[in-house]
Amino acid sequence: MLSEYLPVLLLFGLAVAFAVGSLVVSSLVGPRVPNPTKLAAYESGNIPLADVRNTRFSVKFYMVAMLFLIFDIEVVFIYPWAVVFRELGWFGLGQMALFIGILGVAFVYEIGRGGLEWD
Amino acid sequence: MQIDFIAILPEIILTVTALLVLAADLALRGDAKQFVNPLAGLGTVAAIIATVALWGSERVTFGTMYVVDDFAVLFKLLFLGTLLAILAISWRYIAEHRFFQGEYYFLLLTSFIGMLLMPSSRDLIMLFIALETVSVPAFVMVGMRKRDLYSSESALKFFLLGVLAAALMLFGMSMVYGFAGTTDLVGIAAAISGETASVPLLLGSVMLVLVGFGFKISAVPFHFWAPDTYSGAPMPVAAMLAVASKAAGFAGLVVVAFIAFEPVADVWGPMLGVLAVLTMTVGNLIALQQRDLIRLLAYSSVAQAGYILIPFGLARTGPGAAVVNAAAIEAVVFYLIAYAVMNVGAFAVAIAVERRTGLRSIADYAGLSGRSPLLAMGMTVFLLSLGGAPLTVGLWAKFAILEAIAVDITLFGIVLAGFLVVNSVIAFFYYLKVVRTVWMDEAPAGLPQLQPGFNLSAVVVVLMVGTLVLGVLPGLVTDFSSVISIVAAG
Repeated sequence: MLSEYLPVLLLFGLAVAFAVGSLVVSSLVGPRVPNPTKLAAYESGNIPLADVRNTRFSVKFYMVAMLFLIFDIEVVFIYPWAVVFRELGWFGLGQMALFIGILGVAFVYEIGRGGLEWD
Repeated sequence: MQIDFIAILPEIILTVTALLVLAADLALRGDAKQFVNPLAGLGTVAAIIATVALWGSERVTFGTMYVVDDFAVLFKLLFLGTLLAILAISWRYIAEHRFFQGEYYFLLLTSFIGMLLMPSSRDLIMLFIALETVSVPAFVMVGMRKRDLYSSESALKFFLLGVLAAALMLFGMSMVYGFAGTTDLVGIAAAISGETASVPLLLGSVMLVLVGFGFKISAVPFHFWAPDTYSGAPMPVAAMLAVASKAAGFAGLVVVAFIAFEPVADVWGPMLGVLAVLTMTVGNLIALQQRDLIRLLAYSSVAQAGYILIPFGLARTGPGAAVVNAAAIEAVVFYLIAYAVMNVGAFAVAIAVERRTGLRSIADYAGLSGRSPLLAMGMTVFLLSLGGAPLTVGLWAKFAILEAIAVDITLFGIVLAGFLVVNSVIAFFYYLKVVRTVWMDEAPAGLPQLQPGFNLSAVVVVLMVGTLVLGVLPGLVTDFSSVISIVAAG
């Protein structure tokens, strides 16, 4: 019984070996030519605006994240439904309408409470 | 695809109510916002009616994932009754403290939807969803006193430990699935009993699943969040965590332990028995030291969880096990109902005293008998009942546990009974200390008369009457809780 889990254990070992191995090899083999641009924080290619460590994020970003989640979850469910919606028929349509309706309430609530106003 | 909509009608009603509450919160302005409370109350009453109508029927839906039988209906009525009481004690408290009212009631209802799902779940995934639906709104509700750092701290503690417990439980569930090849509880039981030799890995994962519920019911050693969280949270939320959320944890524990893991009951039985001894002893000993009433109630609720765990310690396998297990489940259910009645009552009185004054240490209860005889009476009855005094339902709750032990007396059972009795005596010490402060000590000068308001008074009176009536006629509940024993065979 326990032996059936051996592949899982092997996979664990492989994952650890790969992670540790990559770090060790790159530190041994990789060339080291640091310059200020290389050492700077990476902000998608822009010149960094501020010191990242002590910057506090506005809570508004989290509101945007919540909005994103609402639509993200919606899409996650709509895709598989769209693939089989002919087989599900009216039942599936009703269920999806219900689901989007409930999500819609959350969306309306967030807009109503000023979730989209930045200032 | 067939869905039995009658079976999930109470949940549907609560969901619609929750959405209506959210909409009403948008539509209403200023002081009118507090009227989302009666709206939520109406929805709860409708859900209670829908649940009562399900009594006596046996409905299975969503494949075999969701079962509505008498066991589930009894638990659902317990949750909905608690919800009604909590709504009543919340009204003024939430309105006066300027919480986000619509959000509070929405989260409260959502959390209770999760609880309603719990006793009906017959599938690991369903159980997990139910547990998380209970927990996630609770994390937010604990942190609702936004300006109060203490509240934020308690919410963070609750959240981090809760997530850790959920992760451990999921890990255990995934390994149980790997072993059984199904998430269906009955299927898991069949897979486990098909195995001749015991499998250490399986037993380990069973323990991990039980740990998740151990956190929810705040059993020692997973209890550290409880006192901090209860005292930092808004008080109605503390009442909800101490009673409803704990009862939901026990409902899930009964389902998963006595249905899925029933074939290995000889392993988890003694383990939960030892946990019961630890939980009641540690809870009671620390409660002795408390000076804040809410922290005292928190540790007392830890100890009470220990009492409720005792019947789990009796579980076993083999011939004659069905009778013992059925008696154990019955004792758990009866104790939970009794516990809900008396503990919500104690919190209701605490809310009434804290309102406007913010006083909550035990010394502040001095002379409560002069300031409000009704509240003093209520507090006395609830605390005596929590201790297990005669003429209150608390005595019969403890008696139900002893009765379950007496079904088939074993050495371990006698040890458990011994700890139960000794701990009840210890508990009386700190319950009576509060009662003495309420009646004997002189009230500090300058304290105003207490005006609990209609809702709070009504809740206190109803629960006080309930405690006393059930103390004289426990048959009113046991007549119903004794028929649910069939669930053990499930």
